Amino acid sequence: MSHAAATAAAEPLMQPSAKAGADTKAPVRIAVKGLNFYYGQFHGLKDINLNFHDRQVTALIGPSGCGKSTLLRTFNRIYSLYPEQRAEGEILLDGVNILDSKVDLNDLRARVGMVFQKPTPFPMSIYDNVAFGIRLYEKLPKSELDDRVEASLRKAALWDEVKDKLKQSGMGLSGGQQQRLCIARTVAQRPEVILFDEPTSALDPISTGRIEELIEQLRDEFTIAIVTHNMQQAARISQFTAFMYLGELIEFSQTEKMFMNPTERRTQDYITGRFG
Amino acid sequence: MDAVFRGCAYGAALLVLTVLVGIIGSIVYGGLPAFREFGVGFLTSSVWNVGTEQYGALVAVIGTVMSALLALLIGVPVSLGIAIYLTQLCPGWARKPVAMTIELLAAVPSIIYGMWGLFIFAPLFARFVEIPISNVVEGLPIVGTVLYARIPSGVGVLTAGIILAIMIVPFVASIARDMLDQIPTILRESAYGVGCTTWEVTRFVLIRHASVSIIGAIMLGLGRALGETMAVTFVVGNANRLSASIFDPGSTIASRIANEFNEADGMQLNALMALGCILFVITFIVLIAARILTSRVRVA
Repeated sequence: MSHAAATAAAEPLMQPSAKAGADTKAPVRIAVKGLNFYYGQFHGLKDINLNFHDRQVTALIGPSGCGKSTLLRTFNRIYSLYPEQRAEGEILLDGVNILDSKVDLNDLRARVGMVFQKPTPFPMSIYDNVAFGIRLYEKLPKSELDDRVEASLRKAALWDEVKDKLKQSGMGLSGGQQQRLCIARTVAQRPEVILFDEPTSALDPISTGRIEELIEQLRDEFTIAIVTHNMQQAARISQFTAFMYLGELIEFSQTEKMFMNPTERRTQDYITGRFG
Repeated sequence: MDAVFRGCAYGAALLVLTVLVGIIGSIVYGGLPAFREFGVGFLTSSVWNVGTEQYGALVAVIGTVMSALLALLIGVPVSLGIAIYLTQLCPGWARKPVAMTIELLAAVPSIIYGMWGLFIFAPLFARFVEIPISNVVEGLPIVGTVLYARIPSGVGVLTAGIILAIMIVPFVASIARDMLDQIPTILRESAYGVGCTTWEVTRFVLIRHASVSIIGAIMLGLGRALGETMAVTFVVGNANRLSASIFDPGSTIASRIANEFNEADGMQLNALMALGCILFVITFIVLIAARILTSRVRVA
């Protein structure tokens, strides 16, 4: 990235600062093809075509109601909890269409983990919170389970803070710790993809910073999609960015390009804070 | 204006306190002669003989506790099932009618339950449950006693428990439903998000999350079952006999009082008052137990 380009732009745009640049040659993990989404009669997503690359962070940005969360929620089909919501088109995860009715949803959700707007620790101990997802799918001997829990908590940068109180309730942790616990729980299942739905919107700046660092680290292992209201956040941690508006994908490109030199007028207006 | 308002509010609060203290005081005062006469024996004796003026509370106390516990045993799983169905599984259009039906159950007067229990339910229960089961278990250890009806009349402690269960279901179910409804959507979604089935979401996340309030709802049901009078009096059998069989007739404190208050005087009246005190104490213990349980769960 070059400073010259940023200052040369007509409007002073955001400075992308993710530690790693986009790897455009990374294989495609999720391919969205002609996706339409409906809430009852309301047409929430309009003909979305988009690729998510392996072990890259892709940020979904756009004003409230633009459909970015809706799009994220199709990747683990969590929307199908609500009978009035439906998706048409194709979402290929490793080449298999997950919108197909034959797909085992529980299996899909183990492969595509999700972290929500607010921390959602389950009403059980810290240890059990992390072990919960593992136990659903694998029968591990105690020592192996212990190792997996520890490794997951380490990956979520939480181990040092909780190693002496694994038996205590997860609800007793601070907000930022709870969110990292949820990340540990997700990581523990060894998913291929992790979806973050505004994971820091309920957190203070310091906790937010820790979660962002964490997402950068997790990129080594997982394909990550993150919805965020915070454009600086998108600029800081993502390699690719998709800008959505009123249910449409307006622009998708490498984060660097998106923030320094967007193609679309609307993208530029949004990024520079003219609307949204 | 403010002073008047304050005065009224204080007065209202004070009135409740006065009434409560008055009721407890007069019942304790009325029961005192019986406690003095029979001492601890009043609690441990199963004799209730108006002719010889010998009174003991044991049968009624056991009947009260047994019928209420049986009611919980039957009613709570059903209530939770209803609450879970309504909040998690029920299609939107069916939610209102089903919920309405259950709330209507709460509107049925207890005397209707009593009459229905005695004239319709009890004969059927005797014919299709008590007699066949008694025939099967006769002579077997333990179940041969607990589930054996010497006189299969259909009335008894279990019948009372079943009728009570029907009566507490609407209360426990509607509180449990409200609590499950209040669980943040996001928690439910994240449980589904790790790949749980509906059963796993409900069992491990929702029920646990709402456990404090569900315990509260159960205790409320228990309190109601302990004190219910009319329906129980119809179907409990009103026998002053200690029996190990839940098919056999028995008494509860409330049914004993309802049966005898009319012609009671002297020591019999004192004994009934003393029974009332015991019922007070039992419900009070339930209340305290509920407090302790709910505060424990909250910490954990």
